[in-house]
Amino acid sequence: MGGKGHTKPAGETLSEAERARFSDLLGAVATRQDRNAFAELFAYYAPRVKSYLLRLGADNALAEEIVQDVMVTVWRKAGLFDRAQASASTWIFRIARNRRIDLFRRSKRPELDPEEEMVLPSGVEAPDARVEAMETEARVRAAMKDLPEEQVLLLKLAFYEGLSHSEIAAKLGAPLGTVKSRIRLAFAKMKARLGDD
Amino acid sequence: MIRVTQNAELDDATRAALASGRAQPALDLFIETLMEMRGISETEGQAIAGAALESETPVDLSADALAMTFAAIERGGALPSREMTYPELGGLPVRLREAVLAAEGKAGWKTIGLGIRSLDLGAVGGLKAEIIRVAPGTTVPRHTHKGRELTLCIHGEYLDSGAVFGPGDFSYRDAAEHHEPKALAGAPAYALAVTDAGLKFDGLLGMFQALFRL
Repeated sequence: MGGKGHTKPAGETLSEAERARFSDLLGAVATRQDRNAFAELFAYYAPRVKSYLLRLGADNALAEEIVQDVMVTVWRKAGLFDRAQASASTWIFRIARNRRIDLFRRSKRPELDPEEEMVLPSGVEAPDARVEAMETEARVRAAMKDLPEEQVLLLKLAFYEGLSHSEIAAKLGAPLGTVKSRIRLAFAKMKARLGDD
Repeated sequence: MIRVTQNAELDDATRAALASGRAQPALDLFIETLMEMRGISETEGQAIAGAALESETPVDLSADALAMTFAAIERGGALPSREMTYPELGGLPVRLREAVLAAEGKAGWKTIGLGIRSLDLGAVGGLKAEIIRVAPGTTVPRHTHKGRELTLCIHGEYLDSGAVFGPGDFSYRDAAEHHEPKALAGAPAYALAVTDAGLKFDGLLGMFQALFRL
């Protein structure tokens, strides 16, 4: 593994030092329109954002177009990034997610199942969210290493791909009730880990 | 009219109804603003997504992707003004504030009545999102809507159908219902309104209707 983030193998999350570096790079883009810093962010994030968009059903051309859009937004909005509130990855994910919702609204998901339950984290009042956000980023990554693979997959389908519980059930070929209880369990385990130490 | 106050606990069913609207841009903006104003943390879910992006298998882009991105950045020209028309909206949740700045750079605020202005945030997929500003003490003339309407108070206070709405309170209203909201004296009131023009709301608002037994 080389020194730079983008040479990391697939499947690994960033270390705390690497997350700090990407926050620094966003800061350099914000304060002095640093093109080298932007190029480094692009090398790491653009291929991953593309992968995310392909996973959600964009074709190659659309994915490339949205990646460009997302990265232009990263350049223009870098001044809004607050490293105390989120990692660069979480912030860029949110830009990609919002662009994706704006640009290729999924035409499926028509009728609502009144049984449908989602995919909103339980409502936690978080007055000191700013202080805790970076700890949450670190602990979520630790928990994702520890949780059984199946539970990590469920959390990714729900929070990363934004699938509803019925969509997850269909995708995995599992009964809806089972999916619901397993997601609840996985999220509870994650929350319990978050409360640890 | 259904009124949900800032302090009311959102029960699971309401949360589910809101969550199910997230694939719609206008509702997604509404929901995110609502959650932030209520201090509901999505931190864990978002951090899971950020970590998942890191562990994603990278897919090569076309060779000139970075160059094209720099070209697009240059075409975009100078960064748009960060000055808001109404400085009191500077404290809005960041996504809504960005939407306001973007809309102010386009058509901007329109006067739609004496002391009443609106800012079109865009209509996508049959849903329209806009911000309504009502000057202190001004009453919006009695009206109905073409479609159903979700309204979130984002700044100031207004009286509507006998109830006071402050920041974080929201209401849901059916097409046929008349109302004449009035901004309380002292400060302008602002609301984020999402309307469906009678088109596409069925999923989400159908669910609201079932929930509240309308």
